[in-house]
Amino acid sequence: MELLEQFRALISTENKFIKGWKHQNKPVLGYACSYTPEEIIYAGEILPIRVLGSLEPPKLADVYLPVNVCSFAKSCFNKALKGEYRLLDGYVVSNSCDNQNKTYDLWRHCTAIHRTFFINTPHSATGNAIKFFYQELERFKEWLTKEFDVEISDENLKHAIGIFNENRRLLKRVYELRKRSPPLVSGSEALEIVLSSMMIPKDEHNKLLRALLEEIKSREDLPKRGARLLVSGSFMGNSELFRLIESVGGCVVADDLCTGSRYFWDLVKEDGEPTMAIAERYLCKIPCPFMYSSEERFKHVREMVKLFDVEGVLIFSIKSCDVHSFDAPLLAEELRENEGLPVSCLEWEHSLSGIAQLRTRIEAFIEILEE
Amino acid sequence: MSQRRIETLRGFYRNYVKPSYEVAHKAREEGKLVAWVASTFPVEIILAMDIIPVWPESYASLCGARRVSVPLCELAERKGFSKDLCSYPRCVLGSLFNGENLPEGGIPRPDILVASTCACDTHLKWFQVASRIFKKPLFLLDVPYNVESANAENLPDYYIQHYVSQLEDLISLLEKHSGIRLDEGKLRKTLELSNRASELWLKVQDYRKEVPAPMGAREAFSAVYFILSIPGTEQAVDFYERLCGELEQMVKQGIGVVEDEKYRLVWDNLPLWFDLQMFPYLRSLGAVVVAETFSHVWTGSLDPSKPYESLARKHLSNMSNCTIEGRINLIAGLVRDFRANGVILPTNWGCRMMTIGETVVKRKIQEMTGVSSLILDVDSTDWRNYDEYRVKTKLETYLKTLK
Repeated sequence: MELLEQFRALISTENKFIKGWKHQNKPVLGYACSYTPEEIIYAGEILPIRVLGSLEPPKLADVYLPVNVCSFAKSCFNKALKGEYRLLDGYVVSNSCDNQNKTYDLWRHCTAIHRTFFINTPHSATGNAIKFFYQELERFKEWLTKEFDVEISDENLKHAIGIFNENRRLLKRVYELRKRSPPLVSGSEALEIVLSSMMIPKDEHNKLLRALLEEIKSREDLPKRGARLLVSGSFMGNSELFRLIESVGGCVVADDLCTGSRYFWDLVKEDGEPTMAIAERYLCKIPCPFMYSSEERFKHVREMVKLFDVEGVLIFSIKSCDVHSFDAPLLAEELRENEGLPVSCLEWEHSLSGIAQLRTRIEAFIEILEE
Repeated sequence: MSQRRIETLRGFYRNYVKPSYEVAHKAREEGKLVAWVASTFPVEIILAMDIIPVWPESYASLCGARRVSVPLCELAERKGFSKDLCSYPRCVLGSLFNGENLPEGGIPRPDILVASTCACDTHLKWFQVASRIFKKPLFLLDVPYNVESANAENLPDYYIQHYVSQLEDLISLLEKHSGIRLDEGKLRKTLELSNRASELWLKVQDYRKEVPAPMGAREAFSAVYFILSIPGTEQAVDFYERLCGELEQMVKQGIGVVEDEKYRLVWDNLPLWFDLQMFPYLRSLGAVVVAETFSHVWTGSLDPSKPYESLARKHLSNMSNCTIEGRINLIAGLVRDFRANGVILPTNWGCRMMTIGETVVKRKIQEMTGVSSLILDVDSTDWRNYDEYRVKTKLETYLKTLK
């Protein structure tokens, strides 16, 4: 489908929307983590775009970093070293994990991007933590206002929240299309749709999503039927791994990824003080495993399994991602024992090196499911 | 080359470490509350409430020194915990999956677990896993990252408030589980003792600034036990007083670890627990480790009249909670103050905090002090990828380049 192709093409810092935005002399801010409160950035007429890294071997970053470092963090740093994030007017990091925090030091010391901000995201969602995060977001607002000479009023924030929530609702409707068999959009297509939402203004993305939801009803080239899988993990900045799974007979119908459902599943409350509502949403959303409430994520996975009629779960941990690697055996055990589901835990590199071995293991897993 | 042993440290393990495990095992039998504590947690509160602290990190280092850590790591790996994770949790979690022939009868089981986000993700995740295994509550102290590497006096107020408000939650939780109310007077006393231990420990370090230095890393990595694990106790103060007394004498008599000091080194991060012979080996080459970053991150002055605020300031400004500038400044300061001419930067395979940025640390130290550093890719407790010959060759070659 042409429209689906369009989403895929948007997952690039070269896309026409970013170009158009820059052309109007408006700033673009890169961010690394799904805990970045994009609404605040967008409310100041700054375009937040996700730093996604690439599949390229990180040759320049290898000079600074050994192998036992998250390959996603390394890939992003590599792109920054190469000057491929030259278009960014700044870079925002969230206090989410050691890999992220420590490569932030390298961004500051070794790349040409000097306008950076570190958001001190708490690791729990208690009342105290929300209060702290609110103060931190106020500081972030102040920084944006000063650095970019923009205004971030409550009214602008509420407007941004409305647009972002709309995007979340629409993305959820896209996910709903995967409940049927065969699904109306494939796993790789769905991932591309979510990824593209991080790369263009959300109001533009909403238009595209509305058009898609209309057009897709009459889709004829349906994705293939296959073993219904949920993919759990951290970050996937492109759909290559999903395409690999699909190429060996898997059908990814749901996910638990920070570039997937965890990115958009929860809404911001639309009544009340907007900055506080944003603070609450980000700390109480389906957590990434760096949060104290890690078990909430397991619950989310179990719910997704039921909602999407999942037959097997693939848990992917990027090598040297501590927070996911600690959770993987626990989540696997819970799904096997409590849900009776087949689970496979796989380690992978963001550059997809060692892909042949990965393919063999995924193939074997799917064969077992189909028996 | 003659080397004098420090008498105060004779029988250190037998006299201090071993009994601490006996106390903790016995406490459980007596129904006292036992808490697993992760480093950088404000242990003074635990001590003031007569709760028995158990340090899983220390247990891992002990297993490393006894050379039993690798089989334990393998047990954890068989349960699905990645080989790329820090070897400390792999070792300790592994020990929970097998109760046989463990050092000191195994790590004492906790009634409660406490950790902070101050040092690394691993503390939280490791303790989460353990909390699930033991079905015991985990208290997490959420510590804001010190983005500006600010010192204790210059931290934003809302960082302090966030820390302090959580200590209030911690105390209620501990009171609920132990049935003991926190006695503010006792907390003040604990803080005073902690301050005293801290001062004495810094004095110990001061003696090491002398040429020749009277104490090396092998001894320091033992003696740091008190300031790390039980800073607010008479035992800590008493031990450090005796150690200071002995070091003072040694300095007066001009006795050094090495008679003819050729190289004075700063050692970053952890030692290779399974190969502590590394330090005598360095001595045989005329090299003495005069300072470790590990000896300089547990001190800090506490104000007994403002116990919570000062604990917050101390831990928020801990180097492990700071951006890389915190670490660079600490190492550069040690190089200058201890008149070092070399820096060893051992990485730790599963430690992102110390591995990422190592190249920047090396570059900055060179710029700031003119001293070069050696990065060693090793692991503190997992020796499976350790090539003793290669590491020794690297060290020897490096020493030859030092001025």
